[in-house]
Amino acid sequence: MSLKSERRGIHVDQSDLLCKKGCGYYGNPAWQGFCSKCWREEYHKARQKQIQEDWELAERLQREEEEAFASSQSSQGAQSLTFSKFEEKKTNEKTRKVTTVKKFFSASSRVGSKKAEIQEAKAPSPSINRQTSIETDRVSKEFIEFLKTFHKTGQEIYKQTKLFLEGMHYKRDLSIEEQSECAQDFYHNVAERMQTRGKVPPERVEKIMDQIEKYIMTRLYKYVFCPETTDDEKKDLAIQKRIRALRWVTPQMLCVPVNEDIPEVSDMVVKAITDIIEMDSKRVPRDKLACITKCSKHIFNAIKITKNEPASADDFLPTLIYIVLKGNPPRLQSNIQYITRFCNPSRLMTGEDGYYFTNLCCAVAFIEKLDAQSLNLSQEDFDRYMSGQTSPRKQEAESWSPDACLGVKQMYKNLDLLSQLNERQERIMNEAKKLEKDLIDWTDGIAREVQDIVEKYPLEIKPPNQPLAAIDSENIENDKLPPPLQPQVYAG
Amino acid sequence: MAAAGGGGGGGGAAAAGRAYSFKVVLLGEGCVGKTSLVLRYCENKFNDKHITTLQASFLTKKLNIGGKRVNLAIWDTAGQERFHALGPIYYRDSNGAILVYDITDEDSFQKVKNWVKELRKMLGNEICLCIVGNKIDLEKERHVSIQEAESYAESVGAKHYHTSAKQNKGIEELFLDLCKRMIETAQVDERAKGNGSSQPGTARRGVQIIDDEPQAQTSGGGCCSSG
Repeated sequence: MSLKSERRGIHVDQSDLLCKKGCGYYGNPAWQGFCSKCWREEYHKARQKQIQEDWELAERLQREEEEAFASSQSSQGAQSLTFSKFEEKKTNEKTRKVTTVKKFFSASSRVGSKKAEIQEAKAPSPSINRQTSIETDRVSKEFIEFLKTFHKTGQEIYKQTKLFLEGMHYKRDLSIEEQSECAQDFYHNVAERMQTRGKVPPERVEKIMDQIEKYIMTRLYKYVFCPETTDDEKKDLAIQKRIRALRWVTPQMLCVPVNEDIPEVSDMVVKAITDIIEMDSKRVPRDKLACITKCSKHIFNAIKITKNEPASADDFLPTLIYIVLKGNPPRLQSNIQYITRFCNPSRLMTGEDGYYFTNLCCAVAFIEKLDAQSLNLSQEDFDRYMSGQTSPRKQEAESWSPDACLGVKQMYKNLDLLSQLNERQERIMNEAKKLEKDLIDWTDGIAREVQDIVEKYPLEIKPPNQPLAAIDSENIENDKLPPPLQPQVYAG
Repeated sequence: MAAAGGGGGGGGAAAAGRAYSFKVVLLGEGCVGKTSLVLRYCENKFNDKHITTLQASFLTKKLNIGGKRVNLAIWDTAGQERFHALGPIYYRDSNGAILVYDITDEDSFQKVKNWVKELRKMLGNEICLCIVGNKIDLEKERHVSIQEAESYAESVGAKHYHTSAKQNKGIEELFLDLCKRMIETAQVDERAKGNGSSQPGTARRGVQIIDDEPQAQTSGGGCCSSG
């Protein structure tokens, strides 16, 4: 480790080699450019001041936490996990975005999410490059407490970590990849030293590494999360927009094996969405990973309840994609990049957390490349849905908005009903028209038939060609008939 | 590459108490029985209502092979065609791959061939490949000939196995064999590197998940003179 920090000296200018205080002695980058004597003085001063501040802040934190806890106990009911929570988080996100944009104009505006981040004294002392935030302070305290249990090894670790952080202070101008490289080197070196020199058993090493990660990343977060030198923010906005454009995707299209009609399942889905959104509020990579893992567990539960068998990757990935689409977690790309760059690699590569993280990366990659084919839709349908002309969701309004308010639900129902009525009306109209046509056809048909028959068998009335008297002429035995009666006049 | 789980792990393979950590990806079309295979291996159950595990997509198993401790992490992958392009994200940094096909389904064997091609292209020869013909309990309906499958496996430097998750045949052997091969590869790797000092390079190979850019070997310009 010491070797590493010395190597960094190559970046220091010739003039910087002297003690910053101008006492004429040579300075040392490990002492922030001071000579040993001046450094001790500076450090001591800063240290005293810091202890003082730590006390005050810790007390304030305690009070605030108690208050917050008390208020959350009373105000938040059992249904706190509903839609309003998402809304709140999203609004938070929006306001935060504004500050991120502002960041370009003011050098030291804050990025952090916690309201507790008050008065960031911009490095009042050269020795301790830290923002005075309550969270940072709490973490440092915990870290020191934790290391105390390891006696000598703990002391050494603390020294190394401090050195590393100070080194990082001077590396802020380097590219984020180089900074990431430094952090990864540091993780590796510390772990190795512990195992070879300190003879610390592997399980212990892992625990210590977690604490180290927490400590350093809480401090570095604001400089290395979504840094301005990268296009992380642009990517965040792009994926956010993309997800918003894909709002119409239904679970059926993705073949999600989750039936949200079951209340338990929809509860799990809501929890999973909450977890994935929560990821953005954490500072330490490992805590972010923990959010992804928690989200995944809820997804597994949802699948298990629906299918009653353990979920395979074939079930899990589509569901995760669906959750990401539904939740639209803030700063997704930044978070993924940050975890990739600064998480302790042993956790990211082999463990369960790593698996879920990889799946999240897959989900994001899938969403970015998603097209008609991947949803089994025709290109026309896909284009129509993308442009917002129609929504396949209308029929499934019920299943899609379990968290909508009653009025909206009613509206969806009514819309549904109206469209059904409309359809029926049309059907009736069509049938009536058909009937009318049939009737006309029928009359026409009859008329035609009659005509035909009339033409075929014309009704000819032949005029009588014999005088009436001859009517009996053909009678053969005419002569045998008695003579016709003659009218006679009787005188009465 | 034996990235020891406990954060690096110094010393060569000779160091006692050191455990190997291997990542194995499971590839195969849907319905070939990937899930059944791992569940049979890790839980010894098949289509059982009493399966206790919540999920079968990430499973671990601890083994002891000839005194060497092995932590096996089995990563299931989504087999649907639509997720095919995501493969490289999954199998990055894996030590082994199990490619499963259904012996009654010629198509699934073709898929295996595609994956093999891809894996060799992306990971070279560092990865141990196993091609697995599953469902041998349905021998009567076989559509992929044994000879064809075995000669194909040989031609790509993979090993071929016949298994039945239903009848619990060949599964234990498959995983045991794979672990032995991975240990061998890891040992060769270690020897080539001398000792553990150059491990950071390998240990960090998988850190960058999203970026496609090659890992820059930084700290290159720095020399060791002090300031």
